Amino acid sequence: MSKAPRFSMVEFSVNHPRWVVLLTVLLSAAALTQFPKAKTDTNPKHMLPETSDVRVWNSEVEKTFDLYEDMIVLGVANDGGVLNRETLERIHRITGEILRIEGVAARDVSSLTTIDNVTMEGGTLKVGPLMPEVPATDRELSDLRRALFGNPLFLNRVISEDGNTTAIYVPLERGVNGKAVADRIRGIVRTENGPERFYVAGDPVARDTFGSEMFKLMAIFAPIAGLLMFLARYLMFRDLFLSIALMMDAMVAIIWSMGLLIGFGFPIHIMSSMAPVFLMAIATDSIHIFNEFYFRFRETGDKRAAILETMKAVGRPVRYTALATMAGFAVLLFMHIEPVRVFGGLVAFGTLALRILSFSFIPAMFTFVKDETIQRTSQREDVRSSRTARLLTRAALLGARRPRRSVFVGLALLALAVVGMTRIHVNNNTVEWFKGKSEVRTSDRVLNAALGGTSLGYVVAIADQDDQIKTPEALRTIEGLQRRLEALPVVGKTTSVVDYVKRINYVLHDENPAYDVIPESEETVGQYLFLFGMSAKPSDLNNVVDYPFRRANIFVQLKTWDADAMRTVKHEVDEFKARTGARLTFKPAGTAYFNLVWNDEVLWDMIRGFVIALVVVFVILAVNFRSLKWAIVGYAPLVFTILVIYGLIGLSGKDFDMPISVLSTLSLGMAVDFAIHFISRFRRRLSEIRPDGTVPDESTVTDALLWTAERPGKGVFRNAVLFASAFSVMLFAPLTPYVTVGAFIVSMMILSAVMTIIYLPALIVLLRGWLFKGGA
Amino acid sequence: MQSVRGVLSLGTLTLLALGAGTVAPAAAQVTGEDIVSREQQAFLYAARDFRADVSMRLVDKEGQERRRKLTMLRLDTGEGSSQKYYIYFHEPADVRGTAFLVWKYQDKDDSRWLFIPAIKLVTRVAAKDAQSSFVGSDFSYEDISGRDLGADSYKLLNEEAREGKDCYVVEAVPKSSSAFTRKVSWIDKKTFLPVREEFYDVQNQLARVFTADEVKDVGGHPTVVRRTMRDVKREHHTEVVFENVGYDSGLDEGLFSERYLQKPPAQWIK
Repeated sequence: MSKAPRFSMVEFSVNHPRWVVLLTVLLSAAALTQFPKAKTDTNPKHMLPETSDVRVWNSEVEKTFDLYEDMIVLGVANDGGVLNRETLERIHRITGEILRIEGVAARDVSSLTTIDNVTMEGGTLKVGPLMPEVPATDRELSDLRRALFGNPLFLNRVISEDGNTTAIYVPLERGVNGKAVADRIRGIVRTENGPERFYVAGDPVARDTFGSEMFKLMAIFAPIAGLLMFLARYLMFRDLFLSIALMMDAMVAIIWSMGLLIGFGFPIHIMSSMAPVFLMAIATDSIHIFNEFYFRFRETGDKRAAILETMKAVGRPVRYTALATMAGFAVLLFMHIEPVRVFGGLVAFGTLALRILSFSFIPAMFTFVKDETIQRTSQREDVRSSRTARLLTRAALLGARRPRRSVFVGLALLALAVVGMTRIHVNNNTVEWFKGKSEVRTSDRVLNAALGGTSLGYVVAIADQDDQIKTPEALRTIEGLQRRLEALPVVGKTTSVVDYVKRINYVLHDENPAYDVIPESEETVGQYLFLFGMSAKPSDLNNVVDYPFRRANIFVQLKTWDADAMRTVKHEVDEFKARTGARLTFKPAGTAYFNLVWNDEVLWDMIRGFVIALVVVFVILAVNFRSLKWAIVGYAPLVFTILVIYGLIGLSGKDFDMPISVLSTLSLGMAVDFAIHFISRFRRRLSEIRPDGTVPDESTVTDALLWTAERPGKGVFRNAVLFASAFSVMLFAPLTPYVTVGAFIVSMMILSAVMTIIYLPALIVLLRGWLFKGGA
Repeated sequence: MQSVRGVLSLGTLTLLALGAGTVAPAAAQVTGEDIVSREQQAFLYAARDFRADVSMRLVDKEGQERRRKLTMLRLDTGEGSSQKYYIYFHEPADVRGTAFLVWKYQDKDDSRWLFIPAIKLVTRVAAKDAQSSFVGSDFSYEDISGRDLGADSYKLLNEEAREGKDCYVVEAVPKSSSAFTRKVSWIDKKTFLPVREEFYDVQNQLARVFTADEVKDVGGHPTVVRRTMRDVKREHHTEVVFENVGYDSGLDEGLFSERYLQKPPAQWIK
């Protein structure tokens, strides 16, 4: 490929800077017009396509059993117990209000006032709402207490064992925003002035609250990150105009790519919401242009010539780092998960835009700067006098002078990292995407402690013929499985058709405990269920058995949102089936199961992407250096950085979750940048001082290394500082995935910069003979 | 206007006579309550007794079906609006023999008994919730056996043609908290049978829709022999077909007793 067209882009921009800037502004304005159309999508469900097995199965289960996709839980706690007239009065009032909220599936709200109860009183069978009216007398109140604690279906569901907590379960119609309903519920309970505490929990609350927080984060944190980087740049160059130019570079790329994303009708997902900060960080690579420009200007004193020469010197590494970064993200385009693909394409496009701007917009902007300003700034770029430069030289010397010791320390660290990696625990927990003290987490914690568990999974028992579920044998199998599952620490409560059948048997036999069992004949079971279905809410029965009585649904309430909890359940179910040789087959379903599948899919997708990215980045290095050996050396800091970070994650005990697995792939394309700059410039320097291409002696290599550490090394250092400052903002985000991303990127940048400055010199000195054999 | 059927009472005759020719002034004279009262007569109180074989098809949004087959006997006791119902279930097969007895009184809660053949148990069943589902269908007990006329306040909204029938459009609003907050009924001016009813829920959204799909004349009594109740929100519906309908068959009040719950009267239940 000829270099001529690229050169002409820089030259064109230097010759017609106003046109370039005007065009950039016009394109940005066009992209901005798309912004008002932006919509977010935080539903983890959409991570997998509608046609994915788990979504098809889950929606089949929801339809078969008349289940709701989304449920909000309102917990009501009173230290003095909730079974007093005043609190019950409030629950009655609040439930009534909740029923009126649009989007609430009023017919199936479960509260003390609406939940069906089956009792026998004075020879009369009663199937109906437990507490249609608030008890007026103490007698009625103690009747209610007895009804609640005497019915295992209620215990840990609508009443805690200590009687201090009750809950209202609020199912939502399809597609309703959980946060909007949760906010209405919060508004309703706010008007109550009693001693009760209220907790709003449930998957839709977490998910949709996350969505709205995400928007806030984009609107607050991205600009703050931009401002911090702007400040850091200003401190580096002391030039307002150039600092603004550098920032505009990033802004323009962000506006273009987000505009395009929104314009194409893609919703902004949690991942793409991080794209602006990523692009800002990637944009810092253009610091190498600025860095070099000042050096060149000092040398030539001619602005135009300095621009052209700068682009000639750094053009290649800047192009290749961009290529590596783009490749890292573009690999995501081949993943299975759509939001991941969108994110990959988005950032890859942004990186491309950034590089086009680097070769057009930035050179154009340089022409507007007054010569005196540049002169003033470039004086400070005196290599020897700069403290940064001295620090960098010392670091490089550490590597170059004591290569063996450095490598040994590195290997020891690696060994530790490997130990850490073996301890990595793969898990994902969407509620823990909120911080420990957040309302979402607090509600979840309180309700999980008091009641059966806020995370809901299902286990569907499937028979091979109709009506088989009504057989005592099938029911006993289901009951056996329930007892096994309830023995798991993560399971709070299970509910199935068995519980209803036993309840009716018990009640019809005057609450004789001998009848709190599954009846002996299929006919009896059929008639009991018919009786139950005669007066209870239709959904009560539909939720647990299908129409032909071929499938039964077991509700499994989990005490944690860990994806792992459902894995434990699934494992237990499989073991139960294998051990008992049950005729029924069992299939897990529900939100908890979805979280598990999704978690695994994202993870494996990411691991696959990671491996592909590793290969692609290596190929890019090899092509860039036109040498396999140099590619291997350039690869070392990258691999080291990644291993150490994963080692740290393993050692710290933090779960290897979705945000981290996504980062793995991205980090490759970015962590390799420094090595590309360092090695490219080092070799260019070496060929300048030893044009004959013979094997250089150690002092020549050391000299060239020191020069590289001082000059492009300064670019690397500045790049890392800028990068880290942009992402450090995310450490203060209220949502943990952002904190994770921030911490990960900051440590990655610092580590890979340190690795590049210390370990590349050490490796180059050590492997000098091998590297230069047969010409540099 | 259409000719007046012999089954109509004198009062209604007068009303309709007044209304002949110009509709608007006459409509002002008919109250919603009058119309609903007439509707209940035609729909639930036709003749002294009534029998039918009833098939119910419960269909969910996926097209899954549950079927019920039952025989229903009804007798007016002659004391105000009091009635007695006897319901015997033929299907589903495993509930065959289950029987249900209801004594409906004018001013107090119904008495209900249920016979469960598998355990040979007759038990009284509480009748607190007349608005709960009838045997899992989209009809409530109230939809089957009627709702107290005094429970709602009525308003004649309009008169319009619906399904090719001239109808009164009457709105009913429950006086105390109820499963619905508003019901709009289209009532056939000729037969006083409901043509369509729309139930609105607590969110003032359409929740259920009743339609009379087929009306037949049985021994001079216009009878809804096919009807559907559609739960709009659950996307579930129940279709009910009456067969072998008979009026004034001479049912004996003695049939409507606990004794016959366990031993169904073969003469009426085949």
